[in-house]
Amino acid sequence: MNRIKTATHRRRLTELLDPDFMSRLDSLDLLSRKILKSKLQGERRSKRRGQSVEFADHRPYVAGDDLRFVDWNIYGRLEQLFLKLFLEEQDLTIHIVIDISASLSLGEPAKELFIKKLAAALGYVSLVNNNRLTISSFSEGVKGQLKNMRGRNYIGAMAEFLLTSDCEGPSHFDSSCRQLVAGRTGSGIMIVLSDFLFKEGLDTGLRRLISRQYDLYVIQVLSPEELAPEITGDLKLVDIEDDDTAEITISGALLKYYKRNITAYCNELKEFCARRGAAYVLANSADSVESLTLNYLRRIRLLR
Amino acid sequence: MEWLTPLTALYAAAATLPLLLLLYFLKLKRREQIISSTLLWKRAIQDLQVNAPFQKLRRNILLLLQLLMLLAILLALAGPILSLTTGPSRRFVLLIDRSASMSANDIEPTRLDAAKKQAGTFVESLRGKTFFSLKDESDQVMIIAFDDHAKVMCNFTSDKHQLHSTIEAITAGDGGSTLAEAIVVARAFAQSPGTEANNRSAETPAQLILFSDGRIRDVEQIAVGTGELIFNCIGKSQQNIAITAMQARRSYEDPDEISVFATIANYDTEETTCDVQLSINDNVQAIKAVTIPPQKTSDTGVAAQPGKVSIDFSLSHVDPGVLEVRQLQPDALACDDAAWAILSPPRKLTVLLVTAGNVVLESALKACPLAGLELCSPDEFEVMDFGTISVEQPYDVIVLDNHIPAQLPKCRYLVFGHPPEGIDVLVPEQLENQVIVDWRPRHPVLKYVNLMNLFAAKCFKITLPRDAETLAEFGQSPALALVRRKGSIFLLAGFDILQTNWPFEPSFILFCYNATAFLGTQAGQNQETNLQVGQPIIVEGLAPETPAEVSGPGFSGNEIKANAAGTIRFPGIDKVGVYGLKVPEQPLRLFAVNLLDSQESNIEPMREIILSGQAIQAQDNPISRSNLPLWPFLVGIALILALLEWLIYNSKVRI
Repeated sequence: MNRIKTATHRRRLTELLDPDFMSRLDSLDLLSRKILKSKLQGERRSKRRGQSVEFADHRPYVAGDDLRFVDWNIYGRLEQLFLKLFLEEQDLTIHIVIDISASLSLGEPAKELFIKKLAAALGYVSLVNNNRLTISSFSEGVKGQLKNMRGRNYIGAMAEFLLTSDCEGPSHFDSSCRQLVAGRTGSGIMIVLSDFLFKEGLDTGLRRLISRQYDLYVIQVLSPEELAPEITGDLKLVDIEDDDTAEITISGALLKYYKRNITAYCNELKEFCARRGAAYVLANSADSVESLTLNYLRRIRLLR
Repeated sequence: MEWLTPLTALYAAAATLPLLLLLYFLKLKRREQIISSTLLWKRAIQDLQVNAPFQKLRRNILLLLQLLMLLAILLALAGPILSLTTGPSRRFVLLIDRSASMSANDIEPTRLDAAKKQAGTFVESLRGKTFFSLKDESDQVMIIAFDDHAKVMCNFTSDKHQLHSTIEAITAGDGGSTLAEAIVVARAFAQSPGTEANNRSAETPAQLILFSDGRIRDVEQIAVGTGELIFNCIGKSQQNIAITAMQARRSYEDPDEISVFATIANYDTEETTCDVQLSINDNVQAIKAVTIPPQKTSDTGVAAQPGKVSIDFSLSHVDPGVLEVRQLQPDALACDDAAWAILSPPRKLTVLLVTAGNVVLESALKACPLAGLELCSPDEFEVMDFGTISVEQPYDVIVLDNHIPAQLPKCRYLVFGHPPEGIDVLVPEQLENQVIVDWRPRHPVLKYVNLMNLFAAKCFKITLPRDAETLAEFGQSPALALVRRKGSIFLLAGFDILQTNWPFEPSFILFCYNATAFLGTQAGQNQETNLQVGQPIIVEGLAPETPAEVSGPGFSGNEIKANAAGTIRFPGIDKVGVYGLKVPEQPLRLFAVNLLDSQESNIEPMREIILSGQAIQAQDNPISRSNLPLWPFLVGIALILALLEWLIYNSKVRI
């Protein structure tokens, strides 16, 4: 029964990722640049000494220590009680945050699809590697959340969550971040997928997300139309989110300034991230998710 | 610099300039496009505005260019002309030949059209009224078209529009060409200030400019000052075959027999064979091929004679009709390819003799070939219905022998003895023993009549009105006279026949024959029906104010009215062809109008005309413009501006 359900869910996931790609993802794992604390015992090294097979250090025995960890070989040689200390292996919390504001639905190909694919791929990797996965979606606030998923069984739920969240509504990044941070516990990796074209609250929102506990990855997804617009004529540009309009007459100079602006905007975001220890990735929605995941994200060591 | 049509341009400017500005200031309808965020675009627009200090100007440069372009087009519309001639204004008289030879089509479409075109070019090159200048240096032109007569088409004016339409209005005629009248008229007009020449008198004689083929008949009567006349010769070919003479006659012996004589002339330098066709009422009767020798060039080269061939047809035709002789070879001039003659039906006369008894006269008339001779006494004549005689014309001729009727019905009279009353002929006294001193043997009435031996023992001294024709004279009085009054014709013999020795002369019989025949031809249909171009159609003997309709080649139904004397005069014949005049309740009268002019048919252009011994050479080149129309340059500028605008627009939107 359970297997059948899984099968149907996996079929749902194939709407986002094709099986070939998934099989290549099987060999990957997520890495954190920080060794982070976690509550549950997992497969990751943590700074805390704990129960695992990996030896870390010795320390003299003090009363009350668990006798199971006494190094009896040293006692036989030195007749002193030393305790073996092991590095505790912990699980990794992955928090994927996707933007589902209306602006994501635009682009050719749509940024929405790209973001969902990327989220699905990262989520799949996390689940396959028994990491703790939380997926949140936000627009004007946090719209939906799947918390603390672990193991392949959750693949279906994740796919359904991704596929059923529609892109609509305006975006309020700052307030969404406040909600996210409030609901966040422990430490881990936080990956934010968005176009980051927010009229306000970008800086404050990102500042909220950056903390010592969380390794922050900012992945900005822009469509080719936004990166290098190919429009001509006299246009009235309408903002899909707040219906703001801008009347323009396309000219060489205007396009030049636009390109200069978007480059500056991305660089500013990148610098902001770099200064605060967050990783920044710019993705073009026309590129393939596969190559981004398999090549670029491995190169920046988000994936292994 | 002058403007041909400044008002047109002003109107167009008034219409288009506000329209352009309105269009420009109307809000542009922009295409809506939904995008993710206007954030970056707004920043780009800000950057653009901040970084382009002349943005306002750049926005308007397209409008500026459009305005300039429109301005250029409007200026072009105003027809600016850069005049290359300077100096005081001049006056010209354009003499345009519209005679038959100018209809020749050796220059497409015709010589006249070529002349009109040249005249148009000449008018174009004149300096018109400057629109924005105080000084009036406009040239003035007068246009005279001439064939046999000169016609002032337009008095001195500098209105080019009027001149052009006047030139356009000149139509080809089929007349001859006489220049003297035109030059006299031109000089007469040139001496009076033109319509627009405020107080400017003709201190300089007007320049005469002649457009003709040089075939001018009266060159000997014209004298012009040196340089007064500029001659533009038009025409190049001399190939023409013409009918230069044609006559149709009924035989005296057998009136059904018709003889047609025609002369065909060849003006080409090569022998030609052509078909000559005879038709009656458009039914072809005969075709003859004739070979015409080439033009004979004499050694002097001036008096070249065309090759001529005479041709005759004879046929039998009883009814009236229109007889046409036509040569079928196509040539340069069409109007001399055919000639027409109106055939009258063979007709015999009915004569009424009013006499108290005159055996001599009676037997003499009986000897004439008449249809009928009626005799009546003066008393019987007085009780006749004169109205019927006037209208129905039962008698062609009424012979009055020593009778003065109280009333005179409209008819043709041969009067012996005292002339009737009321025809302005006075009889102051009686004369005795008169002999004829002079007579006119050429007149049809006196043809073959010898009056040498005529002696009158008694006769009336008659005083004739000024318009009467005297045919024979006694020593102290006219003996025979022709008087036309009240639609009637009176042939007066101022003596009693029995008081003379005339009955014993053979000339008396001939006189009776001629007189009745002549008076008979003066009746109704038998008047002159074969006319030359330019001669008027005259129909006499109608009731006053009788309406009639004239039709002819190219027109029909022209209303015309008889004058108070009962005469219809239709002067407007300048085309060859058959004309018809229809008076209500009377048969259609036909008139044949022919060119039959050997000189006019000679279409060889003369490069040199000799006016009273002074040779005037034709201008070597056709008239060309002496001014420069500027509109093509303006249109070019507009084009360049359009190009520039396109370039700028493109560079602005280039990606």
